[in-house]
Amino acid sequence: MLLFKLLPVGLAFGILQVMLRLADDADLVRRLKAHEPKAMNDLYDRYGRLTYSLILRIVRNASTAEDLVQETFLRIWNRVQSFDAERGALGAWVLTVARNRAIDYLRSTDGRMQAGAIELDQLERPGWFAKLDAAALAMDRVRRLKSAFEKLTPAQRQVIELAYYEGMSQTEMAERLKQPLGTVKTWTRSALKVLRDELAQVAIA
Amino acid sequence: MTCQELEDLFELYALGALESAEKSEIDAHLARGCDKCQHALSAALALNAGVLSFVPAVKPRRRLKRRLLTSVGVHYPSWAWVWAVGAVSLLVVAAWLGFEERGRTFELAAARRALIDSNSERDRLTQALQFLSDPQTVPASFGKGQTAPPRGYVFLHPQMGVLLIASNLPAAGPGKTYEMWVIPKGGAPRPAGLFQSDGMRALYILNGPVDLSMIGTVAVTLEPAAGSATPTMPILIAAPIG
Repeated sequence: MLLFKLLPVGLAFGILQVMLRLADDADLVRRLKAHEPKAMNDLYDRYGRLTYSLILRIVRNASTAEDLVQETFLRIWNRVQSFDAERGALGAWVLTVARNRAIDYLRSTDGRMQAGAIELDQLERPGWFAKLDAAALAMDRVRRLKSAFEKLTPAQRQVIELAYYEGMSQTEMAERLKQPLGTVKTWTRSALKVLRDELAQVAIA
Repeated sequence: MTCQELEDLFELYALGALESAEKSEIDAHLARGCDKCQHALSAALALNAGVLSFVPAVKPRRRLKRRLLTSVGVHYPSWAWVWAVGAVSLLVVAAWLGFEERGRTFELAAARRALIDSNSERDRLTQALQFLSDPQTVPASFGKGQTAPPRGYVFLHPQMGVLLIASNLPAAGPGKTYEMWVIPKGGAPRPAGLFQSDGMRALYILNGPVDLSMIGTVAVTLEPAAGSATPTMPILIAAPIG
């Protein structure tokens, strides 16, 4: 508690908020693992709107988005046993699963499911999220990340959007943008570096 | 590739956006339990989640939650039946009020009609009284001495017109009406209005000035409901004037 006395009020409040969220999520994960009826209700109340908004942004169809939200939450419900209740970042996992369901849908409708395409569900293993910074979706972090994103050049923003919201590989982006692959890789790496550096600043602060 | 060289690729790796050769490199590092790469992956997942949460918030439809909870066997309290009962109740009340209002409207219309009829009858009787009480009124009778009545009187007034009062005049019957005729001396009958009998008596007034010196007879015939331009025989009432 001495630590709180030494910290500025805003930062202390932020840390407190994160601690409360972590405690809440840990309890929620325990109840999800026990398949308590009210746990799914609480999971939806906590992440349903964000999940729906993300999926809708990707698929741009309300009815499809509803189907994919349901698929996302059922996947969480069925795989939560492998999730680390104490340390995992539940919100980050839910968003990742949601994004992957939506991208899978886009790929299936666009005919982009090629032989070499990566199976997205390999990239949402619950174990990965155990070592993740559980404050990934803390308000302050997201706000600073968004502010950094808005400072990117239009080309950098475009490649980030194509990667995150359309699930494109860098080769596909190069084809879409009619740019050399090397140029697209440069835009992508530089954009991600800006965002990464911003998060590092938050961590240092 | 070294861990250092892979460092910038973890976000794209976690998004499934790397080409397969680069992906295989990272897979190999992670499989070896490389701490540095594991840490880089965690940081990349956190960054990705942050970027994915940029989307503008859109509220899903309420039914989505119910559908989701039902799919995992959770009973979601639905208030739909309350709304349904409420809606049906409102409809019943609205229908009842509608019938009440309609009934009230009919009653009001009937009362208005009765009042109009009553006022009209009162006006006719008042006018008839004026005919009878005015010294300029000239009376004429009809039907006296006939074996089959109707009988009655015709009163003529130079300004007020002609008043006919008949008794023992049966109802005209369906599609029929009585028509009064003013027959000038030496002239053709002129239509002077249509009227009905209540089955026993009739009172009819032709309003407007008349030239008493020119009128020879006031007559009544039974005609079709719309009346006729010329009298249909027989003449039921004939009251000679003067």
